Order: sequence, then C-alpha cells, then structure tokens
Amino acid sequence: MANVTNWIDHLNKPAEEVVGAVYPGAGGSEMTLVIIGVVLWLGWHVLTARSESEELSRLSRKRHGPNDHKSNVTEW
Amino acid sequence: MTDQLGALTTIFTEFYYWVTVVLMFLIHVGFCMYEVGASRYKHHQHTLMKNTMLIPLVTVTWFFFGWWIYWAFPTGPGIAPSIMNESTALITDESTFSARWYTAASEYMAINLGDHISGVFWAAFLLFSWTAASIVSGAIIERITTFAFGILAIAIGSCFWVIDAAWGWHFDGWMLKILGYHDAYASGVIHAIAGGFALGVLMVLGPRIGKFSSSGEPRNIGPRNPWLVTVGLFLIYTGFWGFYAACNIPIFDLGPEYGMEGVTYFTATNIYVTPTTLSGITFNFLMSLSGGLLAGYWIAKGDPFWTYSSGLAGIICASAGNDLYHPIQAMIIGMIGVVIAYKLHYWVERKFKIDDAVGAVAVHGYAGFVGLVICGFVLNGYPSSGYSVGAMWDGTTYAAINPLGQFLGAIIMFVVLGLIPGYVIAKVLHAMGKLRIPRDVEIAGLDYEMMESAKKDERAVSSATR
Repeated sequence: MANVTNWIDHLNKPAEEVVGAVYPGAGGSEMTLVIIGVVLWLGWHVLTARSESEELSRLSRKRHGPNDHKSNVTEW
Repeated sequence: MTDQLGALTTIFTEFYYWVTVVLMFLIHVGFCMYEVGASRYKHHQHTLMKNTMLIPLVTVTWFFFGWWIYWAFPTGPGIAPSIMNESTALITDESTFSARWYTAASEYMAINLGDHISGVFWAAFLLFSWTAASIVSGAIIERITTFAFGILAIAIGSCFWVIDAAWGWHFDGWMLKILGYHDAYASGVIHAIAGGFALGVLMVLGPRIGKFSSSGEPRNIGPRNPWLVTVGLFLIYTGFWGFYAACNIPIFDLGPEYGMEGVTYFTATNIYVTPTTLSGITFNFLMSLSGGLLAGYWIAKGDPFWTYSSGLAGIICASAGNDLYHPIQAMIIGMIGVVIAYKLHYWVERKFKIDDAVGAVAVHGYAGFVGLVICGFVLNGYPSSGYSVGAMWDGTTYAAINPLGQFLGAIIMFVVLGLIPGYVIAKVLHAMGKLRIPRDVEIAGLDYEMMESAKKDERAVSSATR
C-alpha cells in the first residue's frame, strides 16, 4: 500500500511527480473508501434511529410526571 | 514548492486558515454550553448530545457532497454564466476552481504535496456549516428527536447553506452578477438562512408543553443556567472573531488577478476578492458588538440573556458590509438590528405561537435579514466584485451593490433557501412520526432513564463497604 518508500528518492523525482497524493492506496482506492464511508454514515442513522425509538417508547409507557426526575438528582 | 516567496505565501495562508478553524471551534463549544444553559435539567444530556452529534454528521456529509456543491453551483445552474468557462451549467469541467477537484474521491481531498490549501479551506467552510446547523439546534431544544435533528442538520449544514454560499459568496456566484449581492461576513449566507430554516422547522414542530397558557399568553420557561449561557456566548463571540478572519483571503496580489498589466498590489481581501484589511474589520467587529450590547441592554431592560444575544445580533446585522463600513456605521447598524430583532421575536411569539427557545430566529434570522437590507443602502454603488463591473440583470458582468438586490438576496436567504426547506423537511419528518418526541417523554424529561440509572449507581456506591 505504501505510496512512498524512500523520501530522498521521492523528492529527487521531477517536480510534477513530487507533488501529489501520498496516502496509502492513492490513485486507486478512493471510490472504495467513499462507498465504505457512505455505508457507515447511513448505517449509523439506521442503528441510532432504531435505538432512539425504542428508548422513547419505553420511557413513554412509564408515564412519569413532570417532577418525578427530581427524585433522581444525584449528589455526587 | 521551490520558490521561497511562493512557499512562504502558501504556507502562511495554510497556517492562517488553520488558526481560524481552531478559533471557530470555540463557536461550537459556546453553542453547546449555551444550549445546556438554556434547557431544563431533565433534558440537559440529550440537549448536549443533539448539538454535539451535528459535528460528525455535518463533517462527513460535508466531505461526501457539501464541498462539491459549493464549487459546482455558482452559476445556479442555468442563471448566469461562469467567468471561468462562460457556461451556465454546473462547474464540473477542467477549470482551476471546478467542483471536479472536490468530489469525495478526489486526490485533493487528502494529504497531497501539491495542495496546501484545500483542506484548511474545506475546514473553514465546514466550521461555518456547523454554525448554521447549531443555530437551528438551539431553537428546537427539548422536544425534537435526535434522528430528526440529524437529518435537519445535514440539510442546512451540508446542503442549503452551501447552495446559498455558492450563489452569494463564491467569487463567481450568480447573485453577485445579477443582483449585486454583497454579504462579506455572512449576515445572510449563514445567519438569515439558518434563522429562516429554524423558523420553518418551528412552524411544524410546535411549542414546548407549557410554553403558552390556555389563553395563548407566552410563558418564560426556566430554570436556565445564566453562567453557562454567559460563558457560551463569550465563546461564540470569540469564535465569531475567528470566523471574520476566515472569511478573508490573507494575502493576494490583485493586479494580475484583475488583469492589470504591470500592477502589483498585495492586500487582504474579503471572500469576493475585493480589498479590505484585517485591521479595519477588527474596528467594525468590536463596534458592531458594542452597538448590539448597548441596544440590547436598553431594550431588554438589562436582561442578561437578551443583552448577550444582542451583542451577537449586532455583529450579525453589520456583517454584510463590515468589510467597508465606518466603525460608527457598524455600531449604529448593530443597534438597529437588535431593536428590530427583539421586537419581532416577541411579536411573532405572541401572534403565531412560535416557541423559539433561545431567540435564534431573531438573533440570526431577523438581524441577518435586516443587515442585508441596510447594507444595500449604505454600500449602494460599491462594486460587488473586482471583475468586470456592469449592470444588474445582464448576467455576464457584476452589478453594483444596491438596495433592491440586497432585499431580494435577503428573501432568497431567509425564505427560499431557509424557511421553505426547513418547513418541508420538518413536514416530511412529522408525517413519518419521527419529528417530535412523545408527549410523556417531554413531560418526564429526555434524561429520565439516564438520571434514574445514575441515582441507582449512587445509592449502590454510597452503601458499599468495600
């Protein structure tokens, strides 16, 4: 994956070859990385939306009053 | 880089933007503190998490598509031709400032030894995006789901505000050419649009339970933590200062840029690449802040919450023209914006039963809108750009700044790209049953289970002997 294995050799190249991307997989892996990133982003929404809905339903069923939370105020 | 002067200029510019990004991070710290200070105890932790999670959500979407929109949309598309390729299509060709270089898969969106600017410039705009989303966040606290806010944050932070930035902030934007639009430090481009978007969401979301009496009289909902609000707003002021610097180009030779043969003129410029100075805008930042504070203290009768918010509103109102105003003009404009925003806030609250929990629509939306309109009168006749100055509506040259253009620009920002999208997206989320938390949860408090769990832990720990 390494794009540069020797900085001296790299900087001795013609100027147009020195300037450029130096991250691992440069020039071939970008689209794959984007697809993975988008899947992770959308997946996060799905997972957290589901857990939030469950949490809200559970709490809603308990029908606590507006001041009930005061008995849960911690002192530490 | 092999030329020493060129290298110094490039690396200075890179470092300059990097510093502004770090400074602007304080805006978000401030917004988090401010929102927690303005919310009730039983909602604190969810309020904090809601605002915090916009950071990653807007960041990743800004990387995936937001930055591309900025570079692709200056022409409309279809409204005015680009000065780079003379086409009205999306700018995706081979030109230097094309969106082609800013897709998520571009090699310039990463460590690239040939590009020292894209990342810091991307980040500076990203911090503006967080701000736009965070402005909306404050207005809707204590009753929106985190899921819905995440969608709304992405919509305003990575889509709608950046469309308006492409139209009214980009040096090639159609609003500059056709309307003579001028908004150097984003009265409209960030603040009016975010305020309008928040208002659109609030119209669908509805007020917090208990905000209005059965006869429709609004009530103040407390308790608030004034110290968190205070520190939060001071941090927002500080970050806003960094934002001002971030809206400038620190060093630029305008002679060749404007095609003037043999002329060398290095200067700082605003975002439109017209000359200003960091020194001059420092005058104006502080004087408009002061004008806002003075007016806010007076009109709110010393109420700290409104006085601090008015300092912000004062800057926001003067921001459109703070690259050119005299400091006393900036101060007076800040004062006018605060008075109008304050009066409008309470009028809208009573008339339409809009519960804007932190006054975000007023401070950002109304003050930003008014600031754009005032700028049209005070800067009437100044060129909106240094490139080929011309007349309104011709579309190929840049119109001068004028009252009508600024008013239309304010409508585009607040209503067309702000209020309407906010309202429509909120309606869709509402129809899906995903917009508002259940009534019983709002009454019990979003943090109820977290607090209950913490109390159990506390009891267990305090009774433990080993």
